[in-house]
Amino acid sequence: MSNITYIEALKAALREEMRRDKNVFIMGEDVTRYGFGVNRGLVDEFGSDRVRNTPISEAAIIGSAVGAALRGMRPVAEIMFVDFIMIGMDQIVNQAAKMSYLSNGELSVPMVIRTPEGTEWFGGGAQHSQTLHSMFMNIPGLKLVIPSDPYDAKGLLKSAIRDNNPVIFFEHKQLYTQKGEVPEEEYIIPLSKAAIKKEGKDLTLVATSWMVKHSLEVAEDLKNKISIEVIDPRTLIPLDKETIINSVKKTGRLLVVDESPVSGGMQGEIISVVMQEAFWNMEFPPRRIGSLNTPVPFSESLEKEVIPTKEKIKEEILNMFSD
Amino acid sequence: MDLNKQKKIKMFKSMFKIREFEDVVKQIYRDGKLKGHLQTCQGEEAMEVGAIEALSEEDIVFSNHRGHGHYLARGTSPKKIMAEFYGKVTGTNQGRSGGMYLVDAKRGMPVASGIVGGNICVATGSALASKIKKDNRVTLSFFGDGATNIGFFHEALNMASLWNLPIIFLCENNQYAEATKREQHQKVKKISDRAIGYAMPGVTVDGTDVLKVYRTVKEAVEKIHLGEGPILIECVAYRLLGHSAGDLGIYRPRGEEEEWNKIHDPIKKYKKKLLEEEILTLLEIEKIEEGIQKEIEEAVKFAIESEEPLAETVGKYVYQEEGNE
Repeated sequence: MSNITYIEALKAALREEMRRDKNVFIMGEDVTRYGFGVNRGLVDEFGSDRVRNTPISEAAIIGSAVGAALRGMRPVAEIMFVDFIMIGMDQIVNQAAKMSYLSNGELSVPMVIRTPEGTEWFGGGAQHSQTLHSMFMNIPGLKLVIPSDPYDAKGLLKSAIRDNNPVIFFEHKQLYTQKGEVPEEEYIIPLSKAAIKKEGKDLTLVATSWMVKHSLEVAEDLKNKISIEVIDPRTLIPLDKETIINSVKKTGRLLVVDESPVSGGMQGEIISVVMQEAFWNMEFPPRRIGSLNTPVPFSESLEKEVIPTKEKIKEEILNMFSD
Repeated sequence: MDLNKQKKIKMFKSMFKIREFEDVVKQIYRDGKLKGHLQTCQGEEAMEVGAIEALSEEDIVFSNHRGHGHYLARGTSPKKIMAEFYGKVTGTNQGRSGGMYLVDAKRGMPVASGIVGGNICVATGSALASKIKKDNRVTLSFFGDGATNIGFFHEALNMASLWNLPIIFLCENNQYAEATKREQHQKVKKISDRAIGYAMPGVTVDGTDVLKVYRTVKEAVEKIHLGEGPILIECVAYRLLGHSAGDLGIYRPRGEEEEWNKIHDPIKKYKKKLLEEEILTLLEIEKIEEGIQKEIEEAVKFAIESEEPLAETVGKYVYQEEGNE
């Protein structure tokens, strides 16, 4: 085991997969020299053909990744901030996600788009701080991965690269510098299994990405009062419904915490999926926490009003046990 | 330039097949027996056939919503395309596409884009794959004049030029973007001039002359094989009908269609040339045309008699189930 950052774990996954398969290559804006640094250094081993700096052209980055994937390559495209993915939206939604279906399965698009979401420690404001993964849950044909720690990041990215479908891999800026234990030996994590990050019996707390850390801290803070089970779905498509439903059947309480704005967000989808199976097991109405339905403002005092915080999670949980 | 008698005859057959196919499709649609978006391509046959005949079987072709002719020129069976228009399981996409997103993977034709300009960046990625693999294949992307106003076109041309990718950007300028005449959607006189902005060669060629299109594309392919980068080829022709099978094109100035029909119809022009060069006799031409008419009739019959896709297969192929590790 070694204690490494989320960035280092992602880099290790890329390095291992590029060594393993010569068709894997990286492309994106300033991938060798700027940005958050996930790809930095890889060009020294793999050369500029396989670690490619691109113009600032998200439609062409994503679209050409689709085209290269159709021809048997396994591109890993980086979109520097998830907000920029909107420029390449057609290429994801109308092209990548439809190729297999419209070709009777004859064509595949084995590509990964890696992109960071969420607020930054230095304040990105309305066009650099969004959390957009929920909207992609409405697009059949995509797989969506959202790891919350270095161990999951590495194992899931390796699986995403090996998967024959278009995968969007949502990272979180605040997670990049977080450290965690990662084994020296090779491992992969399938794109279909949630992780029970902490077992508990009174409440099922489903959380993703940066919210997992907050949730685990709250569970620790409240451990003498409430036994909280923290589940990280890790993949939104496919969604490991069974693990979540089984937990709720056991606890009778469900809180979903995700940084997406709540309106039309993944929180509602998960609650809906669970209610169809576990409604009669409920002891309290299911609750959800997300960002407010506003853009993300710059000022720190405003920003923390918008995004889910540890305090908001704690308060909500206490409300759920107030009677 | 590899244009023997057989090849010239093959090109005529291919052009006539497209025209006949499209005329039949238009009629069936207007009779109310077909639905969907059917963008027929009467008048554009020389661009489709000239370009595709200049490629090898190994090369990759990205088509668009007005793509029936591209697939027919490449050799996709009219039966399979017609069956697709009828939504049948025997269609190119087993009834999942209809008119706009045809596919023939075995002939190097991925799914066509129904989004204007949607294939241009994707095609650029195919050329990138060829460059990385050094497989010597050329990718050709077909799009219309309307698509040269969308961001994909500009992002792709810049990227392809920067990386010297083996791709031909082939603009089928049919002078209309849906119902908007070109002069009303862009100010540039020649679309090929847009190549200048990307330090790429750009040429404009008569898109109603199949031999000129063929030679232009062939030369581009040869240059790419010698290591030259991408090229923008603008072919100028005229969409003899409306935007789609049901559109009567009443927004066009009076007499415009008649004039093009009379003077610039690519099939009439090419037929005349073949007769003059004594490559075919009138009798031989008639025989070819009759054969093709019969083939298209059979395609319609095949489509009508084919089975509908089974409802329980609706979720198949959304995801690739195989080969994921």
